[in-house]
Amino acid sequence: MSGDGQDDALRAAGIQAHLDDVSVKLSRTATWSGLETKASYGPEDVAETDYARDLGDPGEYPYTRGAYSQMYRSRMWTLRNIVGYGSPEDTREGIENALKMGTAGINVVIDTLSQEAIDPDHPILSADAGQEGCSLPMVSDLEILLRGIDVTKTDIAWHSTMMTYPLVAAMATRQGKDLSQLQGSHMPDHLQLRLGGWSEAIVPAGLGHRTTVDCIEYSAKHSPRWALGCPQAYDIRERGMTAAGEIAIGMAIINQTFGDLIARGMHVDQVAPSMAWVSTSDIDFFEEIAKFRALRRVWARTMKERFGSVDPRSQRLRLACHTSGRSLVYQQPLNNLSRAAVQTLAALLGGVQSVETCTYDEPICIPTEEARELATRTQQILANEIGAARTADPLGGSYYVESLTNQVEAEALAMLAKIEAIGLIKAIEDGTIESLMDDYNYRHHKELETQQRIVVGVNKYMPKTSTLPKRFRFDPTRMTAHIERFKQRKAGRDAQALAQRIDALYRIARRRENSHQAMIDALVADATIGEVWGTVRCANDLPYDPFKAIESPFTYTKP
Amino acid sequence: MSVDSQVDTQDADLQLIDALARGELRIAARLITRIESGDSSVASILSKLHARGGNTTVLGVTGPPGAGKSTLVDRLLQQFRHRGQRVAVLAVDPSSPFSGGAILGDRIRMNQHSADEGVFIRSMAARGRLGGLAVAAGDALQVLDAMGWDLIVVETVGVGQSEIDILRHAHTVVIVQTPASGDAVQSVKAGLLEVGDIFVVNKADTAGADRMQSNLREATAFRADPHDPACWLPPVLKTQATYGSGIDAVIEAIDAHTHHRLTHPARWAQRLRAQMRVLLLEQLIDLQRRRTVEDPAHQQRFERALDEVLARRCDPHTAARKLLDASE
Amino acid sequence: MSQSPMPQSKIRCLLGMLGTDVHSKGIRTLAQLLRDRGVEVIYLGEHNTARGMINATIAEDADLVGLSFSTATYLHYTRDLMEQMRAAGLGDVPVMLGGLIHADDEPALREMGVRGIFGPGSTMDQIVAFLQSATGKTLPSGISASGA
Repeated sequence: MSGDGQDDALRAAGIQAHLDDVSVKLSRTATWSGLETKASYGPEDVAETDYARDLGDPGEYPYTRGAYSQMYRSRMWTLRNIVGYGSPEDTREGIENALKMGTAGINVVIDTLSQEAIDPDHPILSADAGQEGCSLPMVSDLEILLRGIDVTKTDIAWHSTMMTYPLVAAMATRQGKDLSQLQGSHMPDHLQLRLGGWSEAIVPAGLGHRTTVDCIEYSAKHSPRWALGCPQAYDIRERGMTAAGEIAIGMAIINQTFGDLIARGMHVDQVAPSMAWVSTSDIDFFEEIAKFRALRRVWARTMKERFGSVDPRSQRLRLACHTSGRSLVYQQPLNNLSRAAVQTLAALLGGVQSVETCTYDEPICIPTEEARELATRTQQILANEIGAARTADPLGGSYYVESLTNQVEAEALAMLAKIEAIGLIKAIEDGTIESLMDDYNYRHHKELETQQRIVVGVNKYMPKTSTLPKRFRFDPTRMTAHIERFKQRKAGRDAQALAQRIDALYRIARRRENSHQAMIDALVADATIGEVWGTVRCANDLPYDPFKAIESPFTYTKP
Repeated sequence: MSVDSQVDTQDADLQLIDALARGELRIAARLITRIESGDSSVASILSKLHARGGNTTVLGVTGPPGAGKSTLVDRLLQQFRHRGQRVAVLAVDPSSPFSGGAILGDRIRMNQHSADEGVFIRSMAARGRLGGLAVAAGDALQVLDAMGWDLIVVETVGVGQSEIDILRHAHTVVIVQTPASGDAVQSVKAGLLEVGDIFVVNKADTAGADRMQSNLREATAFRADPHDPACWLPPVLKTQATYGSGIDAVIEAIDAHTHHRLTHPARWAQRLRAQMRVLLLEQLIDLQRRRTVEDPAHQQRFERALDEVLARRCDPHTAARKLLDASE
Repeated sequence: MSQSPMPQSKIRCLLGMLGTDVHSKGIRTLAQLLRDRGVEVIYLGEHNTARGMINATIAEDADLVGLSFSTATYLHYTRDLMEQMRAAGLGDVPVMLGGLIHADDEPALREMGVRGIFGPGSTMDQIVAFLQSATGKTLPSGISASGA
C-alpha cells in the first residue's frame, strides 16, 4: 500500500472520530437520579391522577401546580445573588456592587469559620477566616456590614445557620429596635450541617437538632416576620442525594422539627407560614420540575393531615432555590452558563419563589464580578425574552411530567418511611443517611467511569484547550486589620458583665432549656460567637473548642 | 544461621524491646505492621515479648456493626484519661472480601483524643485471615503490652468466630448490643454469651431497650453457678454512648470485674488456661494451614490432592492425612 | 473466591481533611474506590489538626497521607502539615493532595514536598499508579470492584 493510502485511511479515521465526537446520541434513558423512563407517555400513565385531589388549580390545595394562583404575574421570583468574602468591609462593598447590577435584596454568606461558630483568632484555624464568606464573629462586625441599614425594614437573606439569628437579634437589641419587627431570613437547619460535613465533632445531631427547634420556637414567638429557610435541603442534595431523596430527608427533618415544636405547645400554623424550603435545581430538567411539584403536594398533605394545619399559608410551600453547584464542572467552565440557564428555567417552570443562579466559575473559585453579572443576566433573559413567567405551571397536564411527579413522590415517601422507622436522629447518628449519600456518590462515580452517565468535558467531549478563567482574589489587608480589631475589642470588654452573661447562658443550656435569649444577651455584651457556642458546647459535655486548641476562658457555675 | 547473626538478632531484639519500653511509637507501629504482613522474622522478638508479657490489663469490646462500639470506647477513653490512665486501643475492622482493601474509620469517633499523647490508637484490618486474625491481633497486643500502657482496649466487630477469638486475649469483655439488634439469643452469638463479662445495651433511648436488657439477663442467667455464689454474673447495663449517659456504670462494672478477677486468682487462672488453650489450638491450626496450603512449595501439592479428590480417586480424609504427613 | 490469601504487605493510606473545610464528599468516595483497589484506607474525616494527623500517621504506620481541599487555604494548611511532619521525623512519608487544587499552585506545592497532586479531572488510575510508585508496593490487579 502506498503512503498516500495510509494517509487517507488515517484522515478518514480522524473524520469518523470527529463525527462521533459531535454527533448527539441518547446516552441515557433513566433520569439523573436513576428513575427509568419510557419512550413516550399517554393518558394511561396518569389515569390514577385526580385533578382536584392530586393537582388542584395553582394556588389551591394541594398546591402541586403552584403556591399562588397568579404565580409570576402577581409576583416575580426574587432574583438573588449571594455575596460574602473577607472582612465586613469587603462584603459591604460586594453587596453595594451586586445591588447596582440588579440583584434584589441583600444576600449574605458568612465564612467557613463563622459558619462553624469559631472565632477568627483561633490559634490553628485563622487562615480560614474570610474564606468563602464574610467573617462575622461579633455584633460590632455586623454593625459594620450593615451600617445605615435598618434590619426591621430591610429583607436580608442570610445563607447561614449557626448563631445567625441570635447575632442579628442582638444587634437589633443593641440598637433599641423592636425584635417583633425584625425582617429577613436565615436557615436554622442544624441537622443539615451535621450531614453536610460539619460532622459530629462540630454539630452533634442531638444538640444541633435541639438548637434548630430552640431557634424556630424563639424566632416564631419573638420575630414573627423573620423567615426560616428550613429544611436546608440544598446542601443535603448536593452532598449526594436523588431528587426523591431531597424530599425524603427534608420532610424527615420537617416532621421531626414540627413534632418537637408541637410537643413544646406550639401549633403548626404559628410556624409553617414563616418557612420556606431551600432547594436546588439540578441538571435533570424534567426531574427537577417534577420534584418541585411533588414536593409542594407532599408538604401540603403533611401539614394538613399529619399536623392538623388549618391555615392555607402553612400548607402552600414556598421554595427558595439555588441552582446546583455540584452539576457544574471545572473543565471548560463556560459550559456552566448553559447548565445554569437550563436549571434556572426548570426552577421557574417548577414554580419557585426565588432563584439564585450559580456563577459559571463556581467550581473554580469565589465568583468573580464578571461571572456574577452573567448569572444575573441569565435570569433577566429568562424573565424578559424566553417567556418562562407567562403562565403558572406551564407543564401541568403533560403526561410525562405528571407521571414523573407521581413517581418522584412515591419514591420519596418510601424512603421517608424507611428513615422514620429508624428515627431521623438515630439514622443520622448511626451513619445510615451518610451511607445513602456515600452509595449515591459511589454509584455516580461508577456510572461516569463506565459512561452510563455523560458529563460534557468530564468523561466525554473533552475540551481541546484548557484555559481557565481568572481566579477571584481579594486584598487580605482588611482581613488582617479585622482580626487585629477583633482581638482589641475582646481585650476592651467589660469582663465582669460578660462573664455574668456567659455563666447565665451556661446554666440555662445545662438545664436543656431554650438558650436563645441568653445567647442574645451574651452577644449584646460583646461575647463572640465562638464564646457563646463554646459555652453551649461545654454545657452539653463537649469540648469548648472542637479542635481542642483552646480551653474555655470562663468559669461556669455547675447547677 | 551463624552464631554471629544469632547474636545480632538477640541484640536487635533487645534494642527493640528497650525502644518499646521507652514508648517509641513509630517503632511499635512498624513492628505491628510486620506482624500484620505475616513477616516471619518477628518470631524471635514475639517470643521474648511473650516471656515478659501479660502485664497490662486488656479490655475487649465487641458488638455488631452500628452498635456504637467506637463511640462507647471514645467515652470510656474520656473517663480513663480523666483518671490519668494512659491507654492504647487496637481497633479491628473487616476487610472487603472482594478486593482485600478496607476502610478503617474507627478513629473518627475517637477524634477528640487525636492530639492526646496518652492515647494510642491503631487500626487493623482482618485481611481475610480466618483463624490467623486472633493470632495476629494477639501478637499486636503483645507489642502494646511491652510499651507500658496502663490499659489496652481491643475493639472488634463481633460477627465471625475469628473476631470472637480475639476476645480471648482480654481480661474483661464488654459486649455491646442495641435494641435494634433484635432478639437477644438470636443476635448475640452463642460464643459471645459465654465470653462476655459485661453486657451493654447501647442506644437505650430507642424502643425495645428494656426488652433487650431483660432478654440479655435471661440469656446470660446460665452463667450463674448455684454451687458457687461468688461467681461473676455479667451485669447488663444501658447506655447512650452518643450522649455520654450510662458510661459511669460501665466503668464501675469494669472496675468491679477487675476486682473480682484479682480477688479470685484460682478462678482467673482457670479462665486464662481455657483462653490460652483455644489460642494455642488456633495457632496450631494456623501454622498447619500455612504449611499445607499457603506455602508456595506446598500449594501445588494441595491442588493436586484437590484434583484427586474431585476425580474421586482419593477421599478427602486420606488426602488431608497425606498432606499433613508430607508437610512434616 | 480464593481461600484465605496469605497476609501480605498492603498499602495503608491515611485520608483526611484539615481546617474547617466540610466538603468531604470527594474524599469519602475516594476512600471507597481505593478500598475497591485493595488499599487499606485509614479514614480520618473532616476537621483534623496537623498534630492529630501526624499522630495517626505514626500509630497507623501509614505508607502515605492523602489530603483533600476545596477551599483556597490549602497552601497554608499543606505547608504547615509538611513542616510539622518533617519535624516529627515523617519527612519520608509521601503526601498527596486532591480536590480543588489549581494548576498554578502546583510548583509551590511541589516545593513544599507534596508528591502527588490530583486536581479536577484526575482519574483513579492515575491515583492508583501514584500510590504504587510512591510506596513501592503493588496492588492486586484485575479486581472487579463490585464491593458495594
